[in-house]
Amino acid sequence: MLNEILVALAAVATLQNFLIMTAGIWGGVIVGAIPGMTGTMAVTLALPFTFYMAPVPSILLLVALYKGSTYGGSVSAILIKTPGTASAACTALDGYPLAQQGKGGKALNMALYSSVIGDFLSNISLIFFAAPLALLALHIGPPEFFMLMLFALTTVAGVSGNSLLLGMVSAALGLLLATVGEDLYGSFRFAFVPDMQAGLSIAPVLIGLFALPELIKLVVMRAAKTDEAAPLGAQHVTRDEFMGSLRSILKGSVIGSILGAIPGIGPSSAAFFSYGEAQRSSKNSANFGKGELEGIAASESANNGACGATMIPLLALGVPGDVITGVMLGAFMIQGLTPGPLLFQTNMHEIYMLFIGMLVSSVLLFFAGKVTMRMFTKVALIPQTLLTPLVLLLCIFGIYSIASSTFDVAVLLVMGLVGFGMFLLNIPAAPFLIAFILGPMIEENLRRALAISRGDPAVLLSSPITWVFAVLIIFVLGLTVRREFLKSKERRVQQ
Amino acid sequence: MKKIIGTIALTLLAAGGPALAQSYPEKSVTLVVPYGPGGASDLAGRALAETAQPILGQPVTVMNKPGAGGMNGARFVSDADADGYTLLLARVGMALSPAVTPESAVPWDAYTFVSALEATPMILAVRGDAPYENVDDLINAVKDSNGAMTYAASGATAIDGFTTQALLADNDLDPLTAATLVPYKGGGALATALLGGHVDFVAMAAASLMPHIESGDMKALMVFAPERVDSLPDVATADELGYEKAGQITGWSALYAPKDMPEDVVAKWQDILGQVATDEKWLELAARRGSISTIGSVEMPDYAKSQYELFNGLAKDFGYLPQ
Repeated sequence: MLNEILVALAAVATLQNFLIMTAGIWGGVIVGAIPGMTGTMAVTLALPFTFYMAPVPSILLLVALYKGSTYGGSVSAILIKTPGTASAACTALDGYPLAQQGKGGKALNMALYSSVIGDFLSNISLIFFAAPLALLALHIGPPEFFMLMLFALTTVAGVSGNSLLLGMVSAALGLLLATVGEDLYGSFRFAFVPDMQAGLSIAPVLIGLFALPELIKLVVMRAAKTDEAAPLGAQHVTRDEFMGSLRSILKGSVIGSILGAIPGIGPSSAAFFSYGEAQRSSKNSANFGKGELEGIAASESANNGACGATMIPLLALGVPGDVITGVMLGAFMIQGLTPGPLLFQTNMHEIYMLFIGMLVSSVLLFFAGKVTMRMFTKVALIPQTLLTPLVLLLCIFGIYSIASSTFDVAVLLVMGLVGFGMFLLNIPAAPFLIAFILGPMIEENLRRALAISRGDPAVLLSSPITWVFAVLIIFVLGLTVRREFLKSKERRVQQ
Repeated sequence: MKKIIGTIALTLLAAGGPALAQSYPEKSVTLVVPYGPGGASDLAGRALAETAQPILGQPVTVMNKPGAGGMNGARFVSDADADGYTLLLARVGMALSPAVTPESAVPWDAYTFVSALEATPMILAVRGDAPYENVDDLINAVKDSNGAMTYAASGATAIDGFTTQALLADNDLDPLTAATLVPYKGGGALATALLGGHVDFVAMAAASLMPHIESGDMKALMVFAPERVDSLPDVATADELGYEKAGQITGWSALYAPKDMPEDVVAKWQDILGQVATDEKWLELAARRGSISTIGSVEMPDYAKSQYELFNGLAKDFGYLPQ
């Protein structure tokens, strides 16, 4: 075995592979950092190039783009409160306040460290625990999936800001919007125009909700502040800050690795899950949402932690969990490799090469992140009067380019107005987005579970996994109610 | 590296060759795939784009327009200019959807039928450890279960739902209630549902099932295709087993264009596909997806019509449409 690993190492350690991965990671970071341009887009666009490459480098290129873009989403989330990808939505909650306090560099560094650690641990879990995690993933049937997603939805309580009630209103609106389009059984809901039959895509809703209200605010309220960005050198994450967040980073990495291994969950839900968990257990929980480094650490370690792990069901079962791994499955097939149980018997050499390459790309992510960070912190030096129209242009262009759809642009603009309205009414946007992303998964798995049991709701508590999540949900709801109760008591005392 | 140089050289040769009588193509051609990236149709579209590109002398870009059972992409193409720069990778859904939901789908004949591309077999599969060795075992279990047996499909009126319903109807069972449909989205999710034991059987496109059948995690009971699949020589087709309705169902891909595309452009593409048909890469990629190239061997306008009529008849039989 050692000999095989050494042979694989020799095969993968070529300048060409190194350049391919560097290009993939860096390209991914930049694409991820540009609002509206997603990792899915980068991977899909790169697919035709891989037709002319050897099998392993082509997969490494796609993986590198995926990892890079997942990290890159945090850069714009922190600097301009526009998550480049949906999985960075929670990063914006703490990252942007930090940037406003002049600690943008700290936030960026923390995001990078957490991403790299999450990514690395995720690769390790892919290499050593692929088989058991894939087995676990297969046991997640519709009832388990439903309970898991319901638990993830409790994150809403944590990102609601000052008013739990308004947070729940926001989440309810998000769940409602998620029902637009064709349902599982083929009936259309709220499909006023043919374009709505396919439902609303995540990217325009995300950008519309997060980026546009900021731009509208600048125009309508003339609230432009010319905060000079503090020099990056003074903004390193100190040892104490890092150690304080280490627990959340490790927890986030584990959460990402496990959730990523379950087909269909993906980095966004993992990040929400981890952020909610960190906020509940952190001693700084009151500071979450106001600029807490630990929040960034939790969110970023989990979304990158899910990246490597999404390869587990792909490689071990031949099952793609999301669109990106779907494209990768296509790339594997074109190269004559069929992912699935047999791959580990017939193509061990390629598997070793892939694993080594993925570990190296974690390291490359660190350097690509550092370089890109330096480039992007200059963004803060651009005057708001220039930056605002530029960002708007990028958003519209990016959203249009995903599916060449003017309807998506309309969704973007309408959601921008909705987001601005929510801001005026003090309704937080994060619960809306979380509910919008989790909504379809909750609904579909509930309906599947009930189809299997032929309408008997007892199916939702039919296995040990569902019991665990039922207990967790009750526990978290109890905690939330208690906290709300204490808050209202405090308010009464003050009066 | 050699491959890249080879392709560049080929492209240059194609571009520098004798000027064609007509000016088409002057720019890149968009091939719309009406389903998401990574699936069987996407792979077919990308394989076609790659093989046709050097022969055409212009880039062929694949654009995924998923949603509404493929009707989003279909509508985009049928509404586009018939100038030959927007083409559709058509699937069986382009005949199935209008046959089942005539009010909301793009009509089956709203296109120029350029050519058939490939036949993609569908497979009836159960878990490797299931106690069913053949279709009769499974049907008997379905009868005994009184409707509690489950199968995964993309939807009741999707092709992978029709396969099971046709089989049930052939066995004088009610296609809608004899077994319970559990809807999933996409081939990968359907295969996982069976693999994890969350449903009892599936009858869907071969591509997502083949690796699991080869590894022994799944058993193939029957093939929905005109002839047996090379890699599964012992598995009978539905037709061989005497199933009338199920025997007519199979998956396929074709190349469509907006209606009334100029004849010289159609001829150009038929010529290109003639060359694609013998291209080694194309044949190799098709074999790997478990499909059989049908370029030139199927008359597409007739075939599309017969497919539409088949599904329209089935939809009436199953009760989706009034008789």
